[in-house]
Amino acid sequence: MKRALVPIGAALTAILLLALSGAAFGHSPRELLGLLITGSVGSSFALQGTLLKSVPLLLTGLSVVLAFRAGVWNIGGEGQFIVGALAALVASRYGAIASIAAAMLAGAAWSSLATLMRLWRNAPEVLTTILLNFTAIHLLGWCVNGPLRERAAMYPQSDLAGASLPRFGGIALAVIACVAAWFLLYRTREGLRLRATGSNANAAEWAGINVRAQLARAMAISGAMAGLAGGIELLGVTHRLFERFAAGYGYSGIAVALLAQLHPLATLASAFFFGALVTGAGELQRTANISAAVATFGQAAVILTLIGFEHVRRRA
Amino acid sequence: MRLTRITKTFGATRAVDDVSLDINAGEVLALVGENGAGKTTLMRVAAGELAFDSGAVSDRGAVGFVHQHFLLVPELTIAENLAVTSSGFRFATHRTLVREATEIIASTGIALHDASRRVADLSVGEKSKLELIKAIAKKPSTLILDEPTSVLTPHESEELFTVMRTLAANGTAIVFISHKLPEVLAVAQRIVVMRAGRIVLDTREATAERLARAMTQSPLPVRGERARVRGALAHERGDLKLHENEILAIVGVAGNGQSQLARALRDALPEAAHIPEDRTRDGIVADLSIAENLALRGVPPEAMTLYSVRAQSARQRAGDLSGGNQQKVILARELDRHPRIIVAAEPTRGLDLDATAFVHEKLRAAANGGAAILLITSDLDEAFALADTMQVIYRDELSERMTPEEAASRVANLMAGVA
Repeated sequence: MKRALVPIGAALTAILLLALSGAAFGHSPRELLGLLITGSVGSSFALQGTLLKSVPLLLTGLSVVLAFRAGVWNIGGEGQFIVGALAALVASRYGAIASIAAAMLAGAAWSSLATLMRLWRNAPEVLTTILLNFTAIHLLGWCVNGPLRERAAMYPQSDLAGASLPRFGGIALAVIACVAAWFLLYRTREGLRLRATGSNANAAEWAGINVRAQLARAMAISGAMAGLAGGIELLGVTHRLFERFAAGYGYSGIAVALLAQLHPLATLASAFFFGALVTGAGELQRTANISAAVATFGQAAVILTLIGFEHVRRRA
Repeated sequence: MRLTRITKTFGATRAVDDVSLDINAGEVLALVGENGAGKTTLMRVAAGELAFDSGAVSDRGAVGFVHQHFLLVPELTIAENLAVTSSGFRFATHRTLVREATEIIASTGIALHDASRRVADLSVGEKSKLELIKAIAKKPSTLILDEPTSVLTPHESEELFTVMRTLAANGTAIVFISHKLPEVLAVAQRIVVMRAGRIVLDTREATAERLARAMTQSPLPVRGERARVRGALAHERGDLKLHENEILAIVGVAGNGQSQLARALRDALPEAAHIPEDRTRDGIVADLSIAENLALRGVPPEAMTLYSVRAQSARQRAGDLSGGNQQKVILARELDRHPRIIVAAEPTRGLDLDATAFVHEKLRAAANGGAAILLITSDLDEAFALADTMQVIYRDELSERMTPEEAASRVANLMAGVA
């Protein structure tokens, strides 16, 4: 439990900083804080919004947790999210289950491109996964302007998906994925090998573990999680694809995972917190006319205070 | 420079034990000894890089130290690498840097052409020349070279010796750390041998035989109870034959191919037990618990008590254990499965007497139980205490198989490559 104090403290401090910085622009910090809270968890409507935002964050967060725990630097959640949604849309005519499965497979395949590049030319994953994000973003843009454009051809967006999830069905799936990730990491031999590889690949190799296979596997599982996030977002929330579909969920997953200290179960709380930050920021925009981009500022503040707190804790 | 009664400890080991040494201007002094004898530690103390526990250093002057590993920036050119060591602010173009570097290089008398080349593109020999130039450019009164020839071709080594002689003739004190006896005899005017943190020989007239003997001080074979009879052949690989019920010790000065041998066996025999030489890098996963480290090989946490790992519980982080206890965890992980073949590299390096005795006991028990054991060690006492058969490794080559009795008289020369 002690380990949780640092991230919780960092998150609270960041929110306080966010509210205080409002003072510089003539807003009362207390009022801003109140709006953030009522806008995110203050009513059942607000709470629903927060939960819906939390689902993709939880899954992209888990994607990062699984990768980072194995020592694989997958920064490509954004691209895997998009490719997952694309596959889900294409497969949606075969029903929701096929659609979700396609999303996970596509995410895994997309992330595994980075593994292939690692094996082929020793290209670092940090680089290849981030570049694959741009590839995916442009692939999506081309699709919704071309082959997947709605039949009415009014907007650069796709038709409605052929299947859908109940509005909160995604929450159940995400929580199951979360528990499954925890079980994999902490209750199976396979997960132990992943973690051993992540914390000391040399020793893992001497203990008879095939390190390269572990890295490939972790990358694929991580991609599948991000792809699942994209599929759920499509089938449960947006029902269509459009250019700015991913909205940074892939990148936010990194913040979610770091605040959760790379623990799958803590990711639940962390994703909910960041989800609340996004909906709370929406309320700020509507009521106090402050740009919702303040949510991004909040994310950055959380990570920076987290780093600061960690630094202090290590010195103490 | 004068070192008086220097003592330096790392944890429980005395790396340098009450050593006094005068380093004279105009003299090439060779400091020889096995790995871990304390040569580098003593010289780092002399250079002021390491704090010491007791003793005194006087008349230190300016010390140049050429380390065994390169301290160069590979992305920069030769000229830039020379320029970054000078302090103070000034404007510089590539051309002026190259011109100045060329002058510096010429003044040292070392041949290294075209200072505008990137260090990453240089050969290993050229890199070590550049390190030497960097050190000489500061005009040190004492120049320390740590195993400078280990990466040089014979021709490059000759060049280096010429530079060393010239520098000494001009009044620089030179300390040459090495374990290659022929070179030492060729270049040094005075030879100091260290063993286990102490100076055991300080001479101006030495022979290879005398040095080899002083370096290793071949101990008399310590015969434990050996009721083992060599069993069937378990693995064969070139000159290496592993038999059941036998401990085969490979001894040699570190860096003669031991690590490569252990690694090759790891890849060839994934099911065998492997105790890696570098415990923290290759052995233990520090962030995992003791139980998790054991589970990597499917060993239950109860094995911990069997191997008397001292810890609060099996859930304790393995990285927080002492070195000896970490080694016991590795031992438990590798030996509890009763493997047919055991490859143990430097299994007691850095351990105290109790832990060492424990490791030896476990290895003996495994051999008595039928395992084929390969012990790779640079500790001769350990080899003689455990081995049924011995081989010396020198420049990646294994000597013939010897009984410990035969080895006692031959091992020193074989290790030094003078046999």
